[in-house]
Amino acid sequence: MTTVLFYILGFIMLTATLLCITRRNPVHAVIYLVAGFFALALMFYLLGAPLVAAWQIIVYAGAIMVLFLFIIMMLGLAPQETPEGPGWRRWGPLVLLSASLMVCTVLLIMQDPAAGKEIGDFYLAPQAVGEALFGRYVLAVEMVSFQLLFATIGAYLLGRPLSRGEGQ
Amino acid sequence: MMIPFGHALSFAAALFVLGLTCVLLRRQVIMILIGVEIMLNAASLVFVSASAYWQQVDGQVFVILLMAITAAEVAVALAMVVYLWRRKRTLVADEFNGMSG
Amino acid sequence: MSESLLFLIPLLPLCCAVINMLFGMRLPRLFAEIMAVTGVAGAFLLTILFWGYAEGEGTRVVIFTWLNSGAVDVSFAMNFDRLAAPMTLMVTGVATLIHLYAVGYMHEEEDYARFFGLLNLFVFAMLAIILADNLLVLFLGWEGVGLCSYGLIGFWYRKLENAKAGTKAFLVTRVGDVFLAIALLWLFAATGTLNISEINAQAASISPGVVIALSLLLLLGACGKSAQLPLMTWLADAMAGPTPVSALIHAATMVTAGVYLLCRLFPLVSLSAVGMTAITAIGALTALYAATCAMAQREIKRVLAYSTMSQVGYMFMAVGAGTVTGAMFHLLTHAFFKAVLFMAAGCVIHLAGDENDIYKMGGMARRGPVELFWVFLAGAVCLAGLPLTGGFFSKDGILLALFTHPDPAYRVFWLIGVLTALLTAFYTFRLVYLVFAGEWRGTGHPHAIPLQMRWPLWPLALLGLVGGMLNLPALVGGDEMLHHWYGDLAGRAVTASHSTEWMLIGFAVAIVALGWFAAHWRYRNYRPPVENRVSRFLLNGWQADALVDRLLVRPFTVMARFCSSGCDRSLFDGTLEGLAKMATRYSALLVQLATGRATTYLSAFAWGFLVLLGWFLLKLVNGGGH
Repeated sequence: MTTVLFYILGFIMLTATLLCITRRNPVHAVIYLVAGFFALALMFYLLGAPLVAAWQIIVYAGAIMVLFLFIIMMLGLAPQETPEGPGWRRWGPLVLLSASLMVCTVLLIMQDPAAGKEIGDFYLAPQAVGEALFGRYVLAVEMVSFQLLFATIGAYLLGRPLSRGEGQ
Repeated sequence: MMIPFGHALSFAAALFVLGLTCVLLRRQVIMILIGVEIMLNAASLVFVSASAYWQQVDGQVFVILLMAITAAEVAVALAMVVYLWRRKRTLVADEFNGMSG
Repeated sequence: MSESLLFLIPLLPLCCAVINMLFGMRLPRLFAEIMAVTGVAGAFLLTILFWGYAEGEGTRVVIFTWLNSGAVDVSFAMNFDRLAAPMTLMVTGVATLIHLYAVGYMHEEEDYARFFGLLNLFVFAMLAIILADNLLVLFLGWEGVGLCSYGLIGFWYRKLENAKAGTKAFLVTRVGDVFLAIALLWLFAATGTLNISEINAQAASISPGVVIALSLLLLLGACGKSAQLPLMTWLADAMAGPTPVSALIHAATMVTAGVYLLCRLFPLVSLSAVGMTAITAIGALTALYAATCAMAQREIKRVLAYSTMSQVGYMFMAVGAGTVTGAMFHLLTHAFFKAVLFMAAGCVIHLAGDENDIYKMGGMARRGPVELFWVFLAGAVCLAGLPLTGGFFSKDGILLALFTHPDPAYRVFWLIGVLTALLTAFYTFRLVYLVFAGEWRGTGHPHAIPLQMRWPLWPLALLGLVGGMLNLPALVGGDEMLHHWYGDLAGRAVTASHSTEWMLIGFAVAIVALGWFAAHWRYRNYRPPVENRVSRFLLNGWQADALVDRLLVRPFTVMARFCSSGCDRSLFDGTLEGLAKMATRYSALLVQLATGRATTYLSAFAWGFLVLLGWFLLKLVNGGGH
């Protein structure tokens, strides 16, 4: 049952992403992507990572994609910029490239002996994740927090109003 | 759950390729950033499925850290998008070719 | 006096040359001129002073070792022997008089330091040839006279013809020098030494074929410097140089260097009959050729140049006939009377207002100082071979040697010599009549003749007239001084019955009279020159220049053009430029990748990623897979 669910969710995720990348309107693209992320979160849950699934929705779909929407709407990118659309002139070779990459990667994956083995039942409670995070990986956590600080400062600096010398 | 590891990895690969296609295909900077997000998510999926396969926690921990870093990156990237918009009032990536030649 | 002071003889002119070249323009003019004359005069006095050292076997003085490595041991050494001494005396004496003459001739010239420096350097190089103990020093002097000749002929280089004449002289004599160099190297290979005396001593032990080859090579080398066929085209054009240069180099010294070389190596050269015949043949043909050309020349100095060529041909005939005495005798007398003829011609040109064409002169006997006519006449009669002059005895000696040669083929050469004598008399008196007789036909203003240009003429004219005393034949009661002085260096002794000698003398007198009569009949009263194909052919030296141009210069130019534009420009430059253009084109293609757009770079990244994956896949598949 969960197996079938996994495959259905995978299919939904891929379809949503495909739709996302082919939309002209950025807002539509973001919405479809959020749908894809939801499917991905459920796949995470099925793979025994409930905490990660929750945070996928909270952080990714809820914060990052919302930030995207903020910027899109702040800059007024929809619907004015839509007439341009994706670069369909050069879609041919790129689709070929993507297909070839897909094929190569899958073939490579299939070569590995572990690829055939099945993922067994696995479930990790948030407590275990927390213990690992703040136990073995506490240094990484601290570094990532630094990173967030830098990002904050950087975003602030970049977001300041332009001075006289810059801009048009 | 009887899912071969290779299948999960193939899903991730497909997602990654889709993200790559988005990056290469779209001309607007926002869409390129979205493509990057998709690719990062594909990486997350790999880590989680590996964590399930090897029955260890490290993969999930890394996904958490990845999300945090992604958040930081997106913040700065979007701030830069705003800056670019203010400079040139367009977000077509091809317009920013000052380092040509 | 120590014998090692002999090296001062060549050294004095060298030092004066160097001083003049380095400091001449800063010194007062008189000082530079005195230095130049003193250099040569000093050498002359030293030769007289050291004359005793030349008697017997001569004196050998080693100055310093030049090359000493392995089989080669060459030093700067002088060999002052019986052959070298009279020649040295003549060269230094005539050079002194000519230097004095040049002081007057060039007194308006501003570049005097270069002139006198080169003139002195020339004397040094000539003395190096004469006094050389080994062939390498001789070759050094040989090249030195070529260089100075080039510098002096092209002295007024700002006029292009003069520079070209100098270059032509240098290049043509260079061809001869190549043959001489080959002979030198071959001699070294055959005998193991470059010392002239040792080579002469070993000459008999060299194989006959090699001797013939060596004689011919030496002959060709001598032809270059002596302006004999086939290397004679430079002498007529060399008259572009100042008259003192013509007098010194192209009358008395450089053109006789070839004869001297053959006389020096006479023991070697005389061993091959083929070589001797070749020498005589070349001399005879050149003498005849030059005499015919001299008959049609319009410029006074060109007449004298062809005349020199002709007389040097006589000297070659003498060497070929086997008599070194005859050759050197004629060399000495010729030096005297040809030098005086050239110098007087210089005076004549001055008087005619720098006019060279004899058809525009005339009446010079009355226009100029009276002595000029007599001095010129003295030289002219010596040249024509009027009886009792120096030229008569020397020329007669050569003709006698040809007539009495054991090989009957030499009668042909004798006949050619006689015919040439006839032509010589003819053109000489043609010259005298056209220049001195009749009325003045020119238009120029005369320049005054300085004293220094007048009085050096007298000693030379006298020497020319009485020069016969040097080797007066026993027939007329003389003691053949020169012949006895040379002793065993003299070559074949010429003996003939008295009746033969008288017959030949009578013949010679008749020839001279005939030539004079013909010239008198034709040129005593002026007639405008004849312009027909024959006269033009002779005027251009039998079209020798055109021949050389067609045979040598044009193929060379074609080849040079092929090499320069065909190979050099098209091939090498083209290849290099082609490579550069190709590089530029491909770089232009590659530059299109650097668009500055992030999307382009990302695409490139993705394509590279695909290649990498593909490679991994291939490796896995080929590696047998898992």
